Amino acid sequence: MNQRTEERLTAYLFVAPYLLLFAAFLAVPVVYGFYISLHDWHVLGRARPFVGFANYSALLRDDLFHTALLNTAYFALLTVLPGNAASLLLALGLNARVKGETLFKTLYYLPVVLSVAVTAIIWRWLYSTEFGIINHYLSALGGPRPAWLNSPALAMPSLAVMSIWWGAGGNMLIYLAGLRGIPDEYYEAARMDGAGTWARFRHVTLPLLRPALLFCLVMSLIGSSQVFGQSYILTGGGPHYSTLTVVLYMYQTGFSLYRMGYACAVAYVLFALVLGLTVVQYRLVAGRREDFAA
Amino acid sequence: MSPFFAPLAAALILAAGGCSRRTTDEAGVLRFWNGFTGPDGATMERIVKRFEHDSGLRVKMQIIPWATYYDKLTLSLAYGGAPDVFICHANRLAEFARYGVMRPIDDLIVSDRTFPADDLMPNIRDAARYGGVQCGLPLDCHPQGLYYNTRLFREAGITDARGEATPPRTLSEFLQAARRLTRDKDGDGRPDQWGFAFTWLRTNWITFISQFGGSVLTPDLVRSRINCAENAEATRLMADLITRYRIAPRPEGFDSWMGFRQGRVAMALEGIYMLSSLEEQKGLAYAGAPAPLFGRRQAVWGGSHVLCMPRTIGAARARRAWRFMRYLSDNSLDWAAGGQMPVRKSLLRAARFRTMRVQREFARQLPYVVFEPASHKSTEIMPFYDAAIESSLLGLQTPQAALDEAHRRISQVMARR
Repeated sequence: MNQRTEERLTAYLFVAPYLLLFAAFLAVPVVYGFYISLHDWHVLGRARPFVGFANYSALLRDDLFHTALLNTAYFALLTVLPGNAASLLLALGLNARVKGETLFKTLYYLPVVLSVAVTAIIWRWLYSTEFGIINHYLSALGGPRPAWLNSPALAMPSLAVMSIWWGAGGNMLIYLAGLRGIPDEYYEAARMDGAGTWARFRHVTLPLLRPALLFCLVMSLIGSSQVFGQSYILTGGGPHYSTLTVVLYMYQTGFSLYRMGYACAVAYVLFALVLGLTVVQYRLVAGRREDFAA
Repeated sequence: MSPFFAPLAAALILAAGGCSRRTTDEAGVLRFWNGFTGPDGATMERIVKRFEHDSGLRVKMQIIPWATYYDKLTLSLAYGGAPDVFICHANRLAEFARYGVMRPIDDLIVSDRTFPADDLMPNIRDAARYGGVQCGLPLDCHPQGLYYNTRLFREAGITDARGEATPPRTLSEFLQAARRLTRDKDGDGRPDQWGFAFTWLRTNWITFISQFGGSVLTPDLVRSRINCAENAEATRLMADLITRYRIAPRPEGFDSWMGFRQGRVAMALEGIYMLSSLEEQKGLAYAGAPAPLFGRRQAVWGGSHVLCMPRTIGAARARRAWRFMRYLSDNSLDWAAGGQMPVRKSLLRAARFRTMRVQREFARQLPYVVFEPASHKSTEIMPFYDAAIESSLLGLQTPQAALDEAHRRISQVMARR
């Protein structure tokens, strides 16, 4: 064995654990999932007949799937831009070098550390119609007692607010890092040119923050299109299917009904949609290729 | 390269050796899966211990929370690793039986000459049959019944001549009692004590529709009849209890069972298995009674834990597993004490059972217990009637419109395959 071969082998050995895990838990299941989606595949069934694209064409006619798609899009609409706006606002506030910055940073980041289950249980108590603290103060002020999670109009916005609270701290850190990376000279130059606060934000901060913005928006969109835990724990997809999301529908089809073929078809349609959206978003926001390299 | 692979190979060989040794050790051990995570788990464990002592056999019991129980069971039945004995709810039985993953037990019942097969309540025994075969041995039955707060009843003067709280038996008695028990104590326009509350909407609804002669599927279990007039009438009555009679809270953000435990709800329809949660509630005075007659005939929702074996079990193990199943059935009075009821007629007549005051009352309903539809698509159609019930009771849709929508969706599912 010459030295080059040995070096190469050593390198492969170092990446082998990751490659093995990647293959076993990602690559193989992804490919196998597509194979399953072409079959009438009940977990218990001994015969799993090949059905071609029948599961996909059934999805086209499945109005519950359409509801789930619309609900997921609605959730994305309610969370992606408002959530990123919230993160950016927090980051801008912290970037002003306020006193107790570390404390605030920790406080805003804290929810991110929680699992979705813990977050959902906390918010279930906040939202409770009867005993919730939100309704307690609302009614103390003479307001109504809305059924946050049990009215079809309010359920999804309630989940969105919770999700923003839960995730805003993560993007905040990325934005803060981006803001800290903008050299002060640019702001000084802008100030000399007579730019006000808004103009400095619009013409200096935003363009230079583009890589961070792009990253956060793409990740948020991917995250929100896969929303699951919130509705699984808080509403079970109700009331009246108003919080049934695509991943929840996939889960219910696969793991309550054991119709794996159909569930895999749902997963693949979602995958195609997310991929398509990401490409579009990349084109819209990126403009320049080097943004991704940053 | 060899220094890397030698230990790996050694580890693999060791692991394989370890595995095979463990299998021989466990050859004599019966594996038993259930989802009894509450106090019922401790009760079951005691019975299992006694069985081990009496029989000399060993049982390895694994308790898996119901929320993930069926996922694990399904995968083990599909891909191997299934236990020798497992619990399956009567309403899930058809789904598994249809795919032939359970070993029928008719031959074991016949060959066990000392087993009194006709001691089983026939309607509960039949709930564990599918396609003409006995898929398992029903361990118990857990019907719903009326729990009522005796202190609130006495305060409202709903008592007999001796001053004992009297539970309602008819719809008019129920409404009358519930009206007197619904009270707005602080005068803010919202009752802080409710006469009644819906707890588990689905099972409460099954009780109501069954009493009106309704059902989810046609008797041959082939087509939906969820939007039939009887179901609409029953669902309307349920919605009326909230909006027209104002004796029950809207089922949103209101933990009804906690309300009953805390004395803010005077009556609830719940399963006998909730008994243990009342026993641990300090200062709560309660009693149980058969569900009142809301409709035209007596009926009440019920479930049953059925003891089953996998199809893959060998002949010798199956005989041992049967001994265990039979022991649990023979000793189901101990099981009943924790909030269940036996389905052996001799045990229902036993003096000890007569001392279990709530079980005894609920057991009077056993002859007319109604199970969820015994179709292999039961789990699949359930979310659709759940949604219809929720929409009706929250007033999002009229009961008829909600049931029509559910009918459309259930019909689609029933038409498939």
